[in-house]
Amino acid sequence: MLVAKMLRLTDALRLLKLLAVSCAFAQLIGTPVLADQEQTFSLQGFGTLGMARTTSNDLEFVRDLSQPGGIKKNWDGRGDSVLGLQGGWHINKEFEAVVQATTRYRYDRTYHPEISWAFVKYDPTPNLTLRAGRLGTEFFMMADSRWVGYSFLTVRPPGDYFWYLPFYSIHGLDAAYTVPLGEHLLRIKAFYGHSDGKIPLADRQWEIKDSPMLGGFLEYQIASWLIRASYANITFKNNLPLGTLLPASSLEYLATKDRRTDYYSLGVVYDQGPWQVQLMLNHIEQGNNALEDSNGGYLLAGYRIAQVTPYLGYSWVRSERHASPDPYASRVIADSHSDQKTSIVGMRWDVARNVAVKAQWDGVRGDPTSIFPYRNDPVNGRWSGKMDIYSLTVDFVF
Amino acid sequence: MPVRRLLLLCLISWLLVQPAAEVRAELVVVVNARCGVAAMTRNEVVNLFFGRTRQFFNGVEAQPVDMLDSHPDRARFYNALLGKDLSEINAYWSRQVFSGRMQPPTKLGSPEEVLKWVVSHPGGIGFVELSKADARVRVVYELAP
Repeated sequence: MLVAKMLRLTDALRLLKLLAVSCAFAQLIGTPVLADQEQTFSLQGFGTLGMARTTSNDLEFVRDLSQPGGIKKNWDGRGDSVLGLQGGWHINKEFEAVVQATTRYRYDRTYHPEISWAFVKYDPTPNLTLRAGRLGTEFFMMADSRWVGYSFLTVRPPGDYFWYLPFYSIHGLDAAYTVPLGEHLLRIKAFYGHSDGKIPLADRQWEIKDSPMLGGFLEYQIASWLIRASYANITFKNNLPLGTLLPASSLEYLATKDRRTDYYSLGVVYDQGPWQVQLMLNHIEQGNNALEDSNGGYLLAGYRIAQVTPYLGYSWVRSERHASPDPYASRVIADSHSDQKTSIVGMRWDVARNVAVKAQWDGVRGDPTSIFPYRNDPVNGRWSGKMDIYSLTVDFVF
Repeated sequence: MPVRRLLLLCLISWLLVQPAAEVRAELVVVVNARCGVAAMTRNEVVNLFFGRTRQFFNGVEAQPVDMLDSHPDRARFYNALLGKDLSEINAYWSRQVFSGRMQPPTKLGSPEEVLKWVVSHPGGIGFVELSKADARVRVVYELAP
């Protein structure tokens, strides 16, 4: 236990050290100035130092399924803390190269920095943007900025909506086209690539690398309203890491290899004056028998008073049970069940330029069978389905 | 009678001077006089400064220029345009930058530099106080103070 705590401390120290070094670097290079028609380099970063605790030791609260372990009753900095650095090379008006690295608590219980994006961007016309390389995936609205705490209102993106989304990047390409319609704008984006990453499951890891992903969206901007409908899919390259303990027939029934999962979502954002309101809905259709189909969503509203923005939110997720006569398979399927609602109350305080402090309470009220969003699945039904989460973060960009 | 007329004249001239004094502190959006744009709506201005589109309605590529946080005109501009605080503007741009979508417009430190930028770029668009807008640029949108 003590060793675990020490490890956590050294990890935090490592993060701080990296932060200090990168700040010094940023100062050295200076703020990015994009002079016209000239090649320029820029270095920018973002980060969050966060702490959270829950009211239950029965299971571990995670930010999304990419984290192998989570938060219990003790204050813990692993869940939300992150540091990111982006280097940009502005080659000319049309071409730009971007590399972004982040360090955070990841699938293998380490903070090893990862290259989150590395791509070349090409703007052949003012309406068209093409990118190729390692890209962030916009499965759902804001999915590609989930770790940039400074960019959003809440401590973390509402979990009931994003837990299911441990996919961060693809090796591939995307294209975005903007069509002006009077004062309004229609934006179309499509992406295709091979997914990159691992999803931790119990003490094993599910390799999703090389799984093909395809998706796109239609987005309509009317003054302060933004409406987006998206679709995306992934065809899993591998089966779940269930080991060899299950009978072959069960394994075959639970196969995910070469099965496609579809993600549908709708987002509406209103952003004007002191108001910020978001409504998001999603529907996930699993093309395999191991995971359950689900519906999720959230409603979030914030109102800024001077430098403080209090906010209220409500999110939910519910998966559709499907029974199997095979008891082994049924147990595996039950692990992917979710049925819960979360109330969110918090505030964001913009204390200084590019620094925000946030405090948030999440009240999870769910069914005891709702265990998919968590880690360390409880045995013997000790989990009541109810839990409160208290979070404090400092978000910054530089 | 002449006294009354004099008073009336004073009142009228005071009324005429009053808005002019206010207008002096007003921020305006200016473009390069040769870009072919005569007037813009608020939504069109917002779309360009937030990078949602990169061209004017006539197809000319826009080259917006912003100001540094340290200059008071920046906070005044976004407050008058959208009722938004600078922290919200910076949060918006951090999402665009770190999701890899786009970089924010160039930021300059003084209205003189902004005017120089607008004049030297065919699609230049920026914001300055009305009193600073000269014949080399065209005022396309006025912000209520």
